[in-house]
Amino acid sequence: MLALDLLVNGLIFGLFYALMAVGLAMIFGVLKVVNFAHGEFYMIGSYAYVLIALKLGIPPWLALPLAALTGGALGWLVERLLMRPLYAGHGSWSSSKDEYAVVVTFGLSLLLVNLVDKIVGPYPFRGPVLIETSRFSIGPVMLNGQKLIAAGVSLCLLIGLALFIKRSLWGRQIQAVAQNRLGASLAGIDATRTTSMVFVISGMMAALAGALLAPLINPGPDVGAFPAIKSYVIVVLGGMGSIWGGMAAALILGVCESFFAVYVSYAYRDAFGLMLLILVLLVRPQGMFGEKGREL
Amino acid sequence: MSAAMVNAAGNLWVNRLRRDFRASLLLLALLSLAPLFVTTPYSLGILIISIYFALLALGWNLLAGFTGQFSLAPAAFAMLGAYTTALLDYHLQAPLAIGIPAAIVSCAVLGWLLGKVVLRLKGPYLSLTTLSFAEIARVVIGNSIEFTRGDQGLNVPTLFESRVGYYYLFLGVLLATLVGLYLLMKSRTGRFWLAIRDDATGAESRGIAVVRYKTLAFALSCAICGLAGSLYGTFSQLVSPELGLLMQTGLIIAMVVIGGMGTLTGPIVGALLVYLTSEWLRDFGNIQMIVFSAAVILFARFLRTGLWGLASGRYRSKAGSAKP
Repeated sequence: MLALDLLVNGLIFGLFYALMAVGLAMIFGVLKVVNFAHGEFYMIGSYAYVLIALKLGIPPWLALPLAALTGGALGWLVERLLMRPLYAGHGSWSSSKDEYAVVVTFGLSLLLVNLVDKIVGPYPFRGPVLIETSRFSIGPVMLNGQKLIAAGVSLCLLIGLALFIKRSLWGRQIQAVAQNRLGASLAGIDATRTTSMVFVISGMMAALAGALLAPLINPGPDVGAFPAIKSYVIVVLGGMGSIWGGMAAALILGVCESFFAVYVSYAYRDAFGLMLLILVLLVRPQGMFGEKGREL
Repeated sequence: MSAAMVNAAGNLWVNRLRRDFRASLLLLALLSLAPLFVTTPYSLGILIISIYFALLALGWNLLAGFTGQFSLAPAAFAMLGAYTTALLDYHLQAPLAIGIPAAIVSCAVLGWLLGKVVLRLKGPYLSLTTLSFAEIARVVIGNSIEFTRGDQGLNVPTLFESRVGYYYLFLGVLLATLVGLYLLMKSRTGRFWLAIRDDATGAESRGIAVVRYKTLAFALSCAICGLAGSLYGTFSQLVSPELGLLMQTGLIIAMVVIGGMGTLTGPIVGALLVYLTSEWLRDFGNIQMIVFSAAVILFARFLRTGLWGLASGRYRSKAGSAKP
């Protein structure tokens, strides 16, 4: 019954991946660029959580929302300072937005990694757990309390976010801007504010993923690299800008990876997603659930 | 647009390219005097490594600056080139006279294939795919313990012991690359690349074989990176998967963006400036990458043409010719 254990643990990791990937997909949705610093939002989130809880002695349950706030603030700053030239129509990069975004966000990712490395130190931290339990098993499935609670929180967040985007006024404004920026602003939607909001939400979600996983992964400065790469895989797999596709793809990737690691090769488990990425881009560039006819 | 206007624009570009090339030759002439003043082996080693980076920066600039393909794999190709030479020596005891050309060929072929793969992709998709390629290559080399000795790395024989000799070898390769790039950029091929960069659809509609020229740029750029990596391997006598870290790619991008993308002098200036500054900054703790990544963001945000663009722009406006 190893398979059931792998399935459940894969689904749980899929939930964490989804938290990262929805933010990336939303940013792609409104700006049509890839945020190469997304893993660093995650890293900052887990550091904020660990440092607030350990150094300030604040209980972990409070540190979690504070970490989310830190991530949100970072997202807001990034949008305000670096992303504006993409749509504000000034600057010499306006004809090559993609290139500008690649250079700037790649630079930002290196900057944040090295800043944390310098200021906090290169050593990994052990994050405080939300709940103290030993490992237990339900049937054949091995779990621990932290993982279960983190998965529960992620699930609630994802459902909450999905409802927010589908139902609320702000969520609908995000959808409108993603579909047609000019059209949305003609209809009276403040596209600039909406883009800011998307970055804040993305930052919060990635930071929360980092904070929830902090006790399981022992964050170091470079902890964001692989989750980021996985979320690229997920958004490409699910269709860039498609939030539902992203969530489904995250769960699929989580499960596939956990099976691949056991049945094929543990050493190459991180390369698996990358091979999948190249394959999807070649065979079905619009993703599993992406809209057809999208310009690549 | 009339034929006369096209010719005028073309002449402007050729003039700029010629000035750019002359400036880079001047820079290389100055560099060739360096061993007169720099005598300690350690400092000479630093200069050699900065020329290694200048080669990588020129290679990446050919893709990103001249054809608009933002690959994130230049460091990975340096690693692949170094490993080609090292593995040929380790398994087959092949001499370097075979190992180094083999590195060029293998990287050109791999680059050509990768270029084929990403042909249909633009912008962020191309960056993502090349990033995945780079990481897969590094993970595979790091994990194939029996074949590559994994993270321990491989020892490589050296070409000769003399550091001054190595310095002039690297400088000679840089000169050859520069001349080759200049001739290419001056020819039809270069104009086609620029046309593809600025408007791929328009270029195709005018009958340019976009596919062939894009993959050609990929193959050439990767061959330059592979050669640089292979030579670097014989210089340091040790190759490891660390050569292909994304951080190294970040450094290369920093050099090109700071120096000036889409020029010949810019990447060389950037490489020298960034690497020498990073050695100097080492005395102040490990803040090099903080400084450079911040500089990249600032340059990309506010000074897209880089330092060389700034300098040559001044010169141009003094000379009184129109801005492009």
